[in-house]
Amino acid sequence: MYEPKIIAFLCTWCSYTGADLAGTSRLKTPWNVRAVRVPCSGRVSPELVMRAFDQGADGVLVLGCHIGECHYDSGNHRTAKRIPVLHSLMTFAGLEPERLRLDWVSASEGDRFARIVNEFTEAVRALGPSQWRHVNSLPSVELPNTAPQEVKEAGVGG
Amino acid sequence: MPYTDEIQAKARELLSRGQTACVIGYEAGPRGRVRPAFIYSPDDAGRLVWNRGCTHNLTTYLCQKLRPHGHNGSKPGRVAIVVKPCDSRAINVLLAENQFSRDQVYIIGVTCDGIVEGAGFKSITEGPLQKRCQQCSEHVPVIYDVLIGQPAPSGKTSGEDKDLARLEAMSPVERAEFWLSQFDRCIRCYACRQACPMCNCPTCLYERDDSLWVGAGIRVDEKRTFHLGRAYHLAGRCVGCDECERVCPMQIPIGLLNRKLAKEMQTMFGFRAGVAPVPSPITTILNGEGS
Repeated sequence: MYEPKIIAFLCTWCSYTGADLAGTSRLKTPWNVRAVRVPCSGRVSPELVMRAFDQGADGVLVLGCHIGECHYDSGNHRTAKRIPVLHSLMTFAGLEPERLRLDWVSASEGDRFARIVNEFTEAVRALGPSQWRHVNSLPSVELPNTAPQEVKEAGVGG
Repeated sequence: MPYTDEIQAKARELLSRGQTACVIGYEAGPRGRVRPAFIYSPDDAGRLVWNRGCTHNLTTYLCQKLRPHGHNGSKPGRVAIVVKPCDSRAINVLLAENQFSRDQVYIIGVTCDGIVEGAGFKSITEGPLQKRCQQCSEHVPVIYDVLIGQPAPSGKTSGEDKDLARLEAMSPVERAEFWLSQFDRCIRCYACRQACPMCNCPTCLYERDDSLWVGAGIRVDEKRTFHLGRAYHLAGRCVGCDECERVCPMQIPIGLLNRKLAKEMQTMFGFRAGVAPVPSPITTILNGEGS
């Protein structure tokens, strides 16, 4: 049976502690989630997210402190701007939009953590395995080129 | 062309009075193609030209020219540069990022009605306009010290970006397939990066062999990471001069990625790069919240 692989980047001050609380509260969370502890959600550079998908993640979850509660004052402000832009870029490049999600979980919100992780895992499970990594197994479809061909053929001849 | 004389006169004046050390402009190459020119002496000012083949974004050379040089960090001489409206916005972006200061550069703005398709590759100055010019409504540079040509109100534009709309209408799988078939051709020559005024990192993240998570190889997924990463780094900075796409020897439609992100920056943050010397909203905190 298909089980999605999910990478979750958790801010150590809020979301990671929130995940801990979910555990100590004995809330059920899916084992599909591989937690990566980061000092701040602002640490999650777009290259890291892309790398996770390149390496075969079916979904990437980025969780940080609520806006205004960042340990570093404005680290999550950057996240709040970066991840949506990355989301639209990766969607444009062919990733299903549901596979990347940004949300906020504070240290006291163990139940919220469990709910988000469950929701996300089920959403990704419904999508099936990610095709992002299987770049060579995609069917070859002829698609029209958008570049102006006739111009480039002139090349360096001048 | 009428503007050629004015540009030459201005360059001669600046260089003979010692107001600038160099004038960056356009000249006709030996086979008639327009190419960038660096003029250091008033006697050479006659080489400068202006016509509809002046496609290059010369602001690419500014950072290099204006960087403090030598171990003592001596201040480089002032530089004059010929810019089109699209190029002038690149200067605003570079100013916002403190690449140089406003007084280091003398901007010769030229009003522009569009550049012809094939410019830079062929010795042509008449013909159909480039796609980006057909969609452009800006005819006057946003920043200049002297303006060549008459300031005209911003004109009409065909508005709709058909290529972008066509791609947005595809399913995710189709889009992935489209982009992979494009990126597959990439030879990682980095011409796109070299032609880009915003790609001015001393060491590119994607060319470091010790980089932990970005492959410098030519597997198709590594090429995809390079192109998507580069597009991302240009979010809110790209002025849409489309030089990257023009110089690509493999005809990869790189400009599509940039236009998509420019559109997203407009819808998400109401931001258009280079209209004023302010940094990309991605690098700043949220509006009105925090400190």
